[in-house]
Amino acid sequence: MTQASAASTPPAACLDRLRQEVLDPGLCVACGACLGLCPHLLLYDGQVAAPDPCGLADGRCIDLCPQNPGPDPRQRRAGLQAARGLGDEAPLGPVRRAWWGRAQAADLGGRAQYGGVVSALTALALEQGLIEEAVLTQAGQRGTPEGVRVRDREGVLACAGSIYAAGGSLQALNQALAEPAEHPLGVVALPCQSLAAAAMGAHPRYPAGRRLKLVIGLFCTMNLSARGLRQVLGQAGVEGAVTRSDFPPPPAGVLVVTTRRGVSEIPLEKVRPITLKGCAFCPDLTAELADISVGAAEGSPGWNTIIARSRTGQDLMELALAKGLVEAKAVPEESWAHLTAAAAGKRARAGSAREEINHG
Amino acid sequence: MADLTKLAPGAAVLLQGNEAIARGALEAGISLAAAYPGNPSSEILESLADSADSAGIHVEWSANEKVALESAAAASFTGLRAMASMKQNGVNVAQDFICNLNISGVRGGLVLVTCDDPSGISSTNEQDARFISRLASLPLLEPATPEECLAMMRFAFELSEAIGNLVVLRSVSRLSHTRAGVVPGELPAGRALPYWDPKTRWFTVPVVPRHQVMLDKLARARSIMAASGFNRYQGPDRPDLLVIASASSALYAAEARRMLDVEGRVGILKLGCTWPLDEDMILSRLEKASHVLFAEEIDPFLETEIKALYAQNAPRLGVMNFFGKGSGHLPLIGEMTPGKLAGAMAGILGLSWLPVAKDYRLQATQLAQGMAAPRDLAFCPGCPHRASYWTIKQTLAVDGRQGIVSGDIGCYTLGLHPTGFERVNSVHCMGSGLGVASGLGQLKKLGFKQPVVCVVGDSTFFHAALPGLINARWNRSDYVLVVLDNSATAMTGFQPHPGTGVTATGQPGVAVDVESFCRAIGLPAQVVDPYDLGAAQEALYDALQQPDGLRVLIFRRVCALVQGRRGGHPWRMSVDEKLCRGEDCGCHRYCTRVFRCPGLVFDEARGRAAIDEVVCVGCGVCAQICPAGAIKAQAKEDAA
Repeated sequence: MTQASAASTPPAACLDRLRQEVLDPGLCVACGACLGLCPHLLLYDGQVAAPDPCGLADGRCIDLCPQNPGPDPRQRRAGLQAARGLGDEAPLGPVRRAWWGRAQAADLGGRAQYGGVVSALTALALEQGLIEEAVLTQAGQRGTPEGVRVRDREGVLACAGSIYAAGGSLQALNQALAEPAEHPLGVVALPCQSLAAAAMGAHPRYPAGRRLKLVIGLFCTMNLSARGLRQVLGQAGVEGAVTRSDFPPPPAGVLVVTTRRGVSEIPLEKVRPITLKGCAFCPDLTAELADISVGAAEGSPGWNTIIARSRTGQDLMELALAKGLVEAKAVPEESWAHLTAAAAGKRARAGSAREEINHG
Repeated sequence: MADLTKLAPGAAVLLQGNEAIARGALEAGISLAAAYPGNPSSEILESLADSADSAGIHVEWSANEKVALESAAAASFTGLRAMASMKQNGVNVAQDFICNLNISGVRGGLVLVTCDDPSGISSTNEQDARFISRLASLPLLEPATPEECLAMMRFAFELSEAIGNLVVLRSVSRLSHTRAGVVPGELPAGRALPYWDPKTRWFTVPVVPRHQVMLDKLARARSIMAASGFNRYQGPDRPDLLVIASASSALYAAEARRMLDVEGRVGILKLGCTWPLDEDMILSRLEKASHVLFAEEIDPFLETEIKALYAQNAPRLGVMNFFGKGSGHLPLIGEMTPGKLAGAMAGILGLSWLPVAKDYRLQATQLAQGMAAPRDLAFCPGCPHRASYWTIKQTLAVDGRQGIVSGDIGCYTLGLHPTGFERVNSVHCMGSGLGVASGLGQLKKLGFKQPVVCVVGDSTFFHAALPGLINARWNRSDYVLVVLDNSATAMTGFQPHPGTGVTATGQPGVAVDVESFCRAIGLPAQVVDPYDLGAAQEALYDALQQPDGLRVLIFRRVCALVQGRRGGHPWRMSVDEKLCRGEDCGCHRYCTRVFRCPGLVFDEARGRAAIDEVVCVGCGVCAQICPAGAIKAQAKEDAA
């Protein structure tokens, strides 16, 4: 028996690479993909940290991280699409079908973001047994979002609505996958998290990742630091738990926050400084690696834009339509063109940001 | 320690150097002894505390060394004999008082004992405290053996009263902690009542004439010391090499001379009275030698002063060759050894001398490593500081603003090392952690964005932290103070301190608690159990997020060794080998490699962590850090 000595830490550990590539430059977007795998990576109040050396050369943390660029970020995304038999079409990723839609169920009213389609589809997937457990996001301690595991409709409804802050919710997915169980899982994921989820499903040393059967993606332009958001809300005099937040489309120029006491508008110039730095490197507006992606329907409050990408995603949406849980209509051409342009813009901006950090 | 009044006069007994110092003080008839604990000095006051009842004297642990010496001086002003003992750093704390007391003078014999720590074996520095005698013009005595410790203490009190000033006696670690035969003398039969004539005053002005009085006292001391017999020469009348040595180095010099078989060529002038110098005796020896080697610890104190004395007399003495730390024949750093002196002597005398093979040290180290259980310089098993630093490390990491930890003096100084996850950024002297934090806490307006945590032990809090704390409060400094309260002066051997409410002699005192003090200056202090990692981390995180000002957390959990004496910890720990992930992905020996409690070991053969049941005390903290829940804590009562 021996006491470990300081010399037992070999160089080039996976965690060292994660620090070097992501954590130290401040590019972490707190998606949670690296969390729950090992004790070295911590999440507290929206911040990911790794205080100790880990010593493993081949840990999964760096492989799952969506912010780890690798030699060719584009190639990485294309590889993950190919692994599930899909292409990497520019600029929206694979599109099987697209709709504008909204949930019909009365219990989704008020809480849900836009049309309530995410909640409706998640609840349906659980009820149908496509998945037995879903990982969603909910405001936890201090209002910071965190991953929660739900198994039924009530659990889904409790998580309805966007928080627009990073909280490492994939930690809950890793924890679920680490348990000795066989049941299928689903996750509602931001674009970064959809990439991480795809990486879990394809990772050679993550066999439990094959249990992930459904990824419902969310459109995302940028995410906010949970602590920064709390500070900005505090400075704006917003008190109490936030029940709903939204970035209305231009030219609104505000973050709209709803609490029990009422609705407040925070000017975007107050919000921009607390945007996560790493989001600038993300080329993905519409969660291209999800099975089905959902976001706002431009100019049509109360409706969602829905993009089915995989067979699973399309089947789920069509079942929801057939059951009358979601009503849908065609996406107006002009709106689709705007979405395509916005997605192309995000890809281009991410490319320049990456160029800048590589050569500047 | 033992009651030293019970020793039979005239009957040889084995005494530690520190015990001999204490016995010497008792024989000299002291009435008051005060000290602050610090290795290697602590046993002096502990011996006196255990003798206090029988001797009918007052013995106390004081809040710090300055207060200790001031208390002792008070007794002296009333005509009583008194002493203060401390380690070398303590002399710095007391220095301001010393440099005024030397002018005001004393009445009853007053002795300051400093125990220096060459090589910094249990210290943050290896400062030579003899500087205080030169600085403050005070007589200095340097014993070499426990026997001399006793004899010089008796002499020191006589000398102090004869000249009316403080006398310094200097020991070093090896002397303080060695044991040798000592023949105790008689204890005094009675003592005078303390009385301070209201017409007498002790003060320092007018400074210039009183400065002269101080120098006159030193001159009187020179002649009294010259007649003491503590300065001796042994060797040929006209040696090829004259070694001028003090304290243990004089013994090492004699040993080196024997090893080289040059007793006929080398003479040793052993000085016991090292300030002021016995100039006549030293000059008489310089007249009969042309080569001189100095042997002393740590600074070239005698070397510098005697070379200055030579310069004054150079026309008469002619060209001489001086060797030592100045010439590079001896190192300026570290403890003196017979080997170092033998090497220097051989070099000067042109002898070839190879004490051991060149790679002996390397070979011996390798051999010893194979025989000894590998152990870090680490916190004890169950030490609350390990848990506290775990919390600080984890919390500052997730805080994410590159927080800085300002450290202080105590067991928790080890936070510099892997046992404290190297989570201490600065350590200097007692209380300086709060001063450094106070300054850092002002830098926000200049663009400093990192949060600051200051750690201080409970004993240090009372010793030197209060002015720093008050300064921070007054000037609105912005930092989080974490008092690591283990309810003991653990580093120096569990002496009581103001927070314990027990005095040096075991009598009840009045407990002064940290949180009441903090509340009194308007700082609500939250008390947290560092063993509860989750609660401690949350409390520290919340404190860090508060926008401004000074915040105080008290991480309170009694020292694991003290808890051991009080019946131990509640848990029997075990590792579930089925759950332990060993070296597998995601863990990689997390508990033994990162948490590093000596009670946790890695069983290489089985590839799993295990509990070393001999070492583990059962604090239960490691069960909280195991990511697999493999480390189990079972109540000892249930396990039995």
